[in-house]
Amino acid sequence: MSSPVPSRQRILGAIHTATESVAKGAAQRAEAYAELPRTYTRQGKMNAEARIALMIERLREYDAEVVESTPEDLSAAIASQLAASGKHTFVAPAGLPAEWLATGFNWKMDRDLANAEIEQVEGVVTASFCGVAESGTIVLHHSAAEGRRVLSLLPDWHLCILRASQVVETLPEYFDRCPGPPKLVTWISGPSATADIEMTRIKGVHGPRFLHVILVRDQSAQPTVN
Amino acid sequence: MSHAATDRPELDPRLAAPFPEAAAQTLRNPQLRKNVAHAIDVIQGKRGRLVAEKTDWQDLRAAGSAIRTHVLENLGFYLELFEERCTAAGGQVHWAADAEEARRIILDLLRQENASEVIKIKTMTSAEIQLNPFLEANGIKAYETDLAEIILQLGDGEPSHIVVPALHVNRSQVREIFARRMGLEHLSDDPKALTNAARMYLRQKFLTIPTAISGANFLIAETGSVAVVESEGNGRMCLTLPHAMITLAGIEKVLPRYQDLEVMLQVLARSATGERMNPYTSLWTGVTPGDGPQRFHVVLLDNGRSKILAKPKERQTLKCIRCAACMNACPVYRQTGGHAYGSVYPGPIGAILTPQLMEMHHAQTLPFASSLCGACYEVCPVKINIPEVLLDLRAEAVNQERKQGVRFFDPMYLGLRIANLLFSRAWIFHTAQFFGRIGAKLVTRKDGWIHSMPSVGGKWTQTRDLRGLPNQTFHEWWAARGSEPGKEAK
Amino acid sequence: MVPVMRASLFITCYNDTLFPETGRAVVRLLERLGVDLDFKSKQTCCGQMHANTGFRGEAFSQAKRLVRLYQDAETVVVPSSSCVAMMRDQYPGLIEEMGNEDLRKQFAALLPRVYELSEFLIDRLGVEDVGAYFPHRVTYHASCHGVRALHLGDRPYRLLAKVRGLDQAPLANTDRCCGFGGTFSVKNAEVSSAMLAVKLQDVMATGAEYCTALDNSCLMHLGGAMHRQYAGMKTIHMAQILASTETEPAEACA
Repeated sequence: MSSPVPSRQRILGAIHTATESVAKGAAQRAEAYAELPRTYTRQGKMNAEARIALMIERLREYDAEVVESTPEDLSAAIASQLAASGKHTFVAPAGLPAEWLATGFNWKMDRDLANAEIEQVEGVVTASFCGVAESGTIVLHHSAAEGRRVLSLLPDWHLCILRASQVVETLPEYFDRCPGPPKLVTWISGPSATADIEMTRIKGVHGPRFLHVILVRDQSAQPTVN
Repeated sequence: MSHAATDRPELDPRLAAPFPEAAAQTLRNPQLRKNVAHAIDVIQGKRGRLVAEKTDWQDLRAAGSAIRTHVLENLGFYLELFEERCTAAGGQVHWAADAEEARRIILDLLRQENASEVIKIKTMTSAEIQLNPFLEANGIKAYETDLAEIILQLGDGEPSHIVVPALHVNRSQVREIFARRMGLEHLSDDPKALTNAARMYLRQKFLTIPTAISGANFLIAETGSVAVVESEGNGRMCLTLPHAMITLAGIEKVLPRYQDLEVMLQVLARSATGERMNPYTSLWTGVTPGDGPQRFHVVLLDNGRSKILAKPKERQTLKCIRCAACMNACPVYRQTGGHAYGSVYPGPIGAILTPQLMEMHHAQTLPFASSLCGACYEVCPVKINIPEVLLDLRAEAVNQERKQGVRFFDPMYLGLRIANLLFSRAWIFHTAQFFGRIGAKLVTRKDGWIHSMPSVGGKWTQTRDLRGLPNQTFHEWWAARGSEPGKEAK
Repeated sequence: MVPVMRASLFITCYNDTLFPETGRAVVRLLERLGVDLDFKSKQTCCGQMHANTGFRGEAFSQAKRLVRLYQDAETVVVPSSSCVAMMRDQYPGLIEEMGNEDLRKQFAALLPRVYELSEFLIDRLGVEDVGAYFPHRVTYHASCHGVRALHLGDRPYRLLAKVRGLDQAPLANTDRCCGFGGTFSVKNAEVSSAMLAVKLQDVMATGAEYCTALDNSCLMHLGGAMHRQYAGMKTIHMAQILASTETEPAEACA
């Protein structure tokens, strides 16, 4: 049953033979890759105002709740969102800014909490890395302020802080923003959903059923009416 | 071998009925056809709107096609790079030459974990290697966690679509399955209630089963990362909560660099579900201390792919990113549903992938399961020229049969060989037309139409009449016209 | 009167045998427009049926024959989208695989001179109004080869729009295949019939008297079902509509 030649060798050998006439040496390959046609839109054309407005619109299309805030009012805005949720126990990523930990709530700081503990928590607050307006996508790189992946997964309610300066229009612009390829990424485009039953879109299968976003106007543009 | 409507569909290409036979069965199921048409129309409508909105759609397709072609042409390099980077990041990479080996590797890994249960993210690749029954036979229970897959697993059904596998099932059928298998007598058929039932059913499993199996939408060579695209969050559960993770991926799933996702993610969601972006996409690289599974394995699967790679015209089959746009656009699939294809890969992509994975020993009727309308090629985000490959596979199937001499007296083969003779000389053609006209009179009714024909012709007249052969062919009319006055230009 | 141009008619094997009235209409139409039309009596088939059924060697021999036959033709007019698609999409591969250098050259020289009928009228002759009269409600079925292989676009609609007395009824789901597909119609007769049933629903819903197309293959399939079902609609190739005038109305058709 086991071949004398390990499968790795066999498979790579078969691939080598299969692509002999087209596979390239290192330099040529790099050149070929660099010359791949990328005439698709990479840079967006919108100004900051339009971009933010689109981001908010797309988030709301997904039934995410979006409120705007200035940087000065952020802590208050967070407190307000937490109060409005009717929930009391929240988990916070280890690196979440201290001023975001609104008083009057039961905070669990994530110092390697067990999954079972996080399952008991009602909500989570995280920062984010980027927002892509075209698709209303929030990108998490799971830094200290964004938290381990389980934190934004198990609780039913997720409050995400997104700065206007982090919002780009197109997906390629997000990739341009990455200093290098990240190790862990979660792209979130609305609360979880399924369309598996008669194509009826039902929200909230696994993952947080409630997504709230505070859009922080950390650029000079004026906030729009909420 | 025929299957009654209540029988479990046969998706093993080695055992499945020929397409015309299987299709004739599913066509007789109005509920199935209604469910399929409804699902397809919804996705197509959404896709159409989003594609119209995306002004650089054709540019994305061009880039997608070019990137995938480049990877396939340099597959050895990119796979080795992936292996190196993934290993450096704490993952273990295994190579499986065929389905049997892949099953064995996965079983061994699960035994290492002392796993008696495993949670799974939907992956067609695992269905391709028939993993679940194998694990079951070896004492390991595999729990599907994708809603469609649960519907199928609990209902003993088979997938009929690669993105929405249970699209052939309607809400009352789901209700029946859940009520029976989850013990929820009073469950309503409201999709919200059904989805909630699934959520409750799975929650404990996610939190307690420490081993998971996934597929991969993309492998990133540059970083050794794996990307999984989903809607429900069960994927995130499976790749975050367990202690050990096994990812099964066909060798063709590689992309060169992280940045190439900027093309793929844009075309995949729009093509697959008609969304600008699916709810959750996850990417992870090897093992991250403190976050997610601490033991991570990738099983790279060949299972016939390297053979497809070797054929220059057929190589494009491997560009596929499993978006299912082709089957959503396919007028044949719309009528027959996926089970008629007798494979976990149905529709247009299945019609070219399945027979090739079988090295044309099975599923030879699939390349003929197409009217060559070209809708699939039009929508494919990576520009696989499916009609071109279908035609090539048809020639391969025919050559095989001709070599074996099995179809020498087949009426259609005979007819085609005779037709070729007729077309080789005008006088033979004309003579045949003359005698054909006489012969046709035998079956032509008083209304001038043929209502019934023998043999192959009978397949036409099952549902259609054919107008009787006119008394004069065009060329006879032209010859008779000769130098008549009417010939002069007016 | 000086002819506008010379063209050679490739009638196609199935039109020659089954739909000679379409050929007669093409002749009447093009001569009315001042085209000096000739007809090579040696023509038979383009090889599509064989190519699509996997008989590539046979398809090649027919392709070779056709290319050689039309070497000296100024233009070739074909009242069938699928046959033109065969030449454009499949001949290159067949000839590359099995032909010699000479044949490749001949084919390369011939291909730009081959036109489907509506392409010939609009692109080559530059006419949309061909002087036709056809006072009926008509719906146009866009064959897949016409749409996806030849990219005919709105050419057929523009031609129909200029036909006097004609009332165009738009057809829903025009991009959906009727299910003919050549030998598919018998090799997968059941599926073909299911697709036909769905297409027929849309066609009948137009309330038209005639269903027209640029391909008799699709029309044979649609018309065959209409006749079987006493549906009350007829099919007619567009050449016959365009050839039809007040003094010489279209010949009786299916």
